[in-house]
Amino acid sequence: MKVVIVGNGIAGNRVATELRERDKEIGICILSAEAVPEYDPCSLPYFLAGNIGKKDVFKKTVEDYQRLDIDIVFNSNVVAIDPEAKRVKTDEGVESGYDKLVLAHGGALFIPPIEGIRSAGVFSCKQLLETEKLEAHNGSKAVVIGSGAIGIEAAEALKKKGYAVHIIELLGWVLPVLFDEPTARILEAALEENGIHVHTGEKVLQIKGEGTVTSVVTDKREIECDTVVVATGVVPGTALAKTALIETGRGIKVNRKMETSVSDIYACGDCVETFDSCTEETVMFQLKHNAIEQAQIVARNILGDNARYLGAYAFARVHFFDTHASTFGKTMRATECMLGKSELIEKQDGDDYLRVVLLDGKVLGGQAVGRYADAIGLLIGAMWRKEDMGRVRDKWNKIPQSGAACLWPLIRLGQLIGPAAQGSHP
Amino acid sequence: MAIRREQLVVDPQKCTGCQQCLIACSMQHQGNINPKLAMLKILRLESQELDIPVICMACDNAPCIKVCPMNARVRQENGTVITNTDVCIGCRACVYICPVGSPAVNPYTGQTMTCDMCKDDNAGPWCVTACREGALNVSKYDMLTREVVRERAGRSRAIYPNIG
Repeated sequence: MKVVIVGNGIAGNRVATELRERDKEIGICILSAEAVPEYDPCSLPYFLAGNIGKKDVFKKTVEDYQRLDIDIVFNSNVVAIDPEAKRVKTDEGVESGYDKLVLAHGGALFIPPIEGIRSAGVFSCKQLLETEKLEAHNGSKAVVIGSGAIGIEAAEALKKKGYAVHIIELLGWVLPVLFDEPTARILEAALEENGIHVHTGEKVLQIKGEGTVTSVVTDKREIECDTVVVATGVVPGTALAKTALIETGRGIKVNRKMETSVSDIYACGDCVETFDSCTEETVMFQLKHNAIEQAQIVARNILGDNARYLGAYAFARVHFFDTHASTFGKTMRATECMLGKSELIEKQDGDDYLRVVLLDGKVLGGQAVGRYADAIGLLIGAMWRKEDMGRVRDKWNKIPQSGAACLWPLIRLGQLIGPAAQGSHP
Repeated sequence: MAIRREQLVVDPQKCTGCQQCLIACSMQHQGNINPKLAMLKILRLESQELDIPVICMACDNAPCIKVCPMNARVRQENGTVITNTDVCIGCRACVYICPVGSPAVNPYTGQTMTCDMCKDDNAGPWCVTACREGALNVSKYDMLTREVVRERAGRSRAIYPNIG
């Protein structure tokens, strides 16, 4: 059997290594649009900052592919699938036949239609080639467009390299998908304290410069700069899947076995839309842990298992200078349109902050800055177990001393959640 | 990875919070008597006056390995998972995803560290030797069976039964 994997990223390589671990004979071919062995995009901002060298970004060498008997083809941009003939074709007309096909080509940076966005001096930090150019660039004043995880990390990296840095965020606060406003404001204050200027609720209208960037114009101000980093989000690639008439929504649609709507074609990683492990809603959580878990399911099912994906979950950490923060599950803002009794728990102790979102007495999400973030793992566990927090509140300090130590996670959860709030949210 | 035959197991009921394990661990790994440099932690729950040793459990399906942006969480031959300090950038993603928040943070370097069961030391885990109360043990072979795990879980269930 020959398995062709489109995409040389985290998901694609995890499929390949899991297949090879379980089956020494199966044919595995990875078609990579880039020209380098597997690297981790999450490492790129730290290469940019100079924390680590370029070699530490890579997860594989060319020899690793040979050792694992994985056929790797570089500069292979797949543009069409023929599911009847079971062949894929690249933009140079090179065709490959498959028995099973895995789409793991991820997402691409969304490039907003801003005048001047193609100028010299404008970079991104999503792929290695672009990040290398940014790392080699000799600038001193940077504007980062977008304050998602990549934007924040790129901003910190450039600040460490001595740049003056401004972040422009279109929505009302930084990291608007991962954090609620109160938590985000704490992070904004910390960014400002570290010398990174943050402008929220602001839109970039134009990138000015003859030949190379000289300034960025927003709807509120003009900022002189010689470097722009576009960090405006990742859009999953669905164009390729559509050539095979595979069902897509915002991403490629897959069932719980990670199969697409066309037989013998699977998909995993940033290019798919899937379901939330707790709420079962359709979600796009384009995060590394989800890519890895989905890829494992694909590999097992290709080999004939009946493995079922347990669903995606949102978990992210934000770290810049001395600020540590983490988030999981739903934000309070995302809960506002859900039916049920919601409750918000907030705790503040100096620079440490915790917020936990409950719905019908169960943990739905949480955000923490500082010391409280250490307990995020316990809260995630409570979310998955659908723990009744009302019961935890009743019992946590009434457990008999002789057995209390064995139930320490529940005691810790009880301490964090605290007593029920007076009154309730509808 | 071959199926692990050994794991450090904690009996939190026996811990007195004496910190001998932390001292022993920091001696073995850092050559320094400093509880803050130990790879395990003792969580103090003041309300019930409890001391809980929290150690990396080297999960078979370790979430810390999946969330590390530098792939610094690495499975060792003895089954433990440790942090590669050549590339760890101190982001603490591993701490936050860990079901018990076990990775310790080295206060001098900001990097994380977790128990390696003293794999390079013939004497075996120093904390097990140091603990006079028997709160830390190495479980071997059939001690990690399903039956044993269920019996342990049953102790918790007896105190905190499900209703309905």
